[in-house]
Amino acid sequence: MAVSLERRTGAVAFFYWLWDGIDRTIFTAIKFSFPARFVSPFGFLGMLTFIVFIILGVSGALLMFYYQPILDRAWDSVQFINDEVPFGFHIRNIHYHGSNAMVLLAVLHMYYQYFSGRYKIRNEVLWMTGVILGVVTILEAFTGYDVIFSERAELAISIAASLTTSIPVAGPLIRDAALGSGFSDFVLRFYAQHVFLLPIVMLGLMAVHFPRFLVFDVPMVMAIGGAILITGGVFPIDMGFKFEPTVPPGVTVPEWYLTGIYAFMRTQYDKFVTGLLWPLLFIISIVLIPFIDRYKKFSWRDRPLVTAFGITSLAQIMVTTYWGFYISPDISIPLVERLVIDPIFFYSTMILLVPLGFGFTYMMIKLANEAERKSKLAKSTGPKKVATINLSEKWINWVLVALLAFQVFLNIAAYNAALTGMKNLSLFFIGIILLVFAAFFHVYRYSISQEKNAPPPAPAPVQEEKPRLAEPAPSPESSKLPEGDASKAKPELKELSPEIPAKTQADLGVGVDNNPHIGSGDINKP
Amino acid sequence: MSELGTKKSSRLSRRDFLKLIGAAGTGLAFAPFVPFGNFMPNPNQASLEKVPVILPDGTQANINTYPINHAEVITYPATGDAALDAEAFRKWQFIRLPEELGGDKKDVSAIRGYSMICLHLWCLWKYWPDEGRKRGECPCHGSMYDPLTGTAFVGPASLQAAPSDTLPKLDFEIASDGFVFVLPPKFNANENGVIGYGRFA
Repeated sequence: MAVSLERRTGAVAFFYWLWDGIDRTIFTAIKFSFPARFVSPFGFLGMLTFIVFIILGVSGALLMFYYQPILDRAWDSVQFINDEVPFGFHIRNIHYHGSNAMVLLAVLHMYYQYFSGRYKIRNEVLWMTGVILGVVTILEAFTGYDVIFSERAELAISIAASLTTSIPVAGPLIRDAALGSGFSDFVLRFYAQHVFLLPIVMLGLMAVHFPRFLVFDVPMVMAIGGAILITGGVFPIDMGFKFEPTVPPGVTVPEWYLTGIYAFMRTQYDKFVTGLLWPLLFIISIVLIPFIDRYKKFSWRDRPLVTAFGITSLAQIMVTTYWGFYISPDISIPLVERLVIDPIFFYSTMILLVPLGFGFTYMMIKLANEAERKSKLAKSTGPKKVATINLSEKWINWVLVALLAFQVFLNIAAYNAALTGMKNLSLFFIGIILLVFAAFFHVYRYSISQEKNAPPPAPAPVQEEKPRLAEPAPSPESSKLPEGDASKAKPELKELSPEIPAKTQADLGVGVDNNPHIGSGDINKP
Repeated sequence: MSELGTKKSSRLSRRDFLKLIGAAGTGLAFAPFVPFGNFMPNPNQASLEKVPVILPDGTQANINTYPINHAEVITYPATGDAALDAEAFRKWQFIRLPEELGGDKKDVSAIRGYSMICLHLWCLWKYWPDEGRKRGECPCHGSMYDPLTGTAFVGPASLQAAPSDTLPKLDFEIASDGFVFVLPPKFNANENGVIGYGRFA
């Protein structure tokens, strides 16, 4: 089988021509790198957030085909999507869990940048637009789960509208102008904001926020996609109850990214202060962090005060997020009493978290410094041990074939599940398929880079003319699976393959020089 | 040497092997998303079944009382949702033919049901029973339809190639007491036709 994939004819030539044409576009200014080995996802969480944004855009556009932003039809149209439309369940779950993934990734992205001090080195504008982008992302997710107009959505809309009304002086006017004058308006306007206004704002902010160096790590992108689908398969999102104005709604809590604010509001202090002023104060202080942080160093260990503030904020976010979720299950107590959080208890916990956060930070810095000192000692004395998995090319080929066979099985399983109406199982299987593809692609890119680094095949030996005796017969395995010439150069290959020092692997993937496919700047300036 | 050479050319190079297996893996990873395309066509919300012909006044049509040379608008398939039932694609002209075309008979040959969507540009045509007309006329561009067959004979719709020159139709059944029912249609060009597209006469 003398196949050559080297020739560039027809469609391939056309795609290469297109690819070359990108030279003349704005995209030349952005440096994409496709890492040829594993890099820690912390460095490109922003890119992952953007990928999820794209997934949300596509799935959301599909949902728009059926969704009706009309007061008495919104819930029914979502139910129609969920139950009647083929793969509507899949699309809706991808959209819902994708929104959660995007908020989570954005928050993780922000905290990683915060603790690694990336907002320095003239990245202040990136940081500030990023924080605003994060807030808009949460608003986008919020408007999204409201347009279902279930009981929970109705309560969320009520809270949003009444919070807007609570703004001193201009509140009612802003509410009327931005959200409208009643639920009919609210549903339609939340929808308009969800599908157009906020995404446009996000795209605009992204244009500013996008750095010049981007990492597109295919396995990690696929793994995130797979995780979203698997979550959808295991925890499919329900419909809630359709909101009926004459039926008092049951006890509901908002989405997890808002329960923090919800907990503050449940202390029943002034609505405006707890629901708007506190979050606003928090956001403003995050926005201003680059101007408050005057440390000359980047690492979290060298910026103890800033790190302590970050840890404290994280602790407070976690505690309030959980607190917002918690409603006493004891139904013998009146509802209002179950909902109200004792403000004294609540705020003293918040205050208590400050010294705890500072103490924890102090301990972590001590421990980290000690660990570093020890590892330096160990390095100078002991031998360097790096755990590696070394597979021969033959075995890599077999791993690839095995993963391919597993993909075939999973495809059949997913299709079968969809045919028999087990929607969440099929969603789960498709998620697994994406995860397996992530693993497959990782092995694939590893072997491709091995292939690139492989030395040219050894020249034919001169003594070839001599009669050759006792040539070992090819084993049945190698005759089944083509391996090419490179297998002959196996011993040399091992020497040439890049050694990855232990430190860079542990050091969040910022491998500087051992990989030709990533510039050192690619991850330093996300 | 020659043995080595032939062996080399007969085998797939490792790089090409990797490329092929990479392409296969990518294809398999995205294959499960192909059936997602079924999301896009709107699944029928009303099941197509045998239902009584309900006239605009709410009564069921009866061949014994329905006037000769007369037409009414009926809705099929009706969903019960006022907004969806107002849909032009669900509107049909329920015609009892004039006497000269056999409208005085008491069987299904006397009645016709045609989609009200004009095949030219989807205006709503209607049947005119006036003397000298007795045909379906579209107000927009003057297409005219033969009530007997549903085929356009004048105007832009008549110039369109088959099946777009003949209106989709409904088939009826008349019970012994004269009440009229719609039979479940098959909406394809060879049978009841495709609404807005036409039918092979």
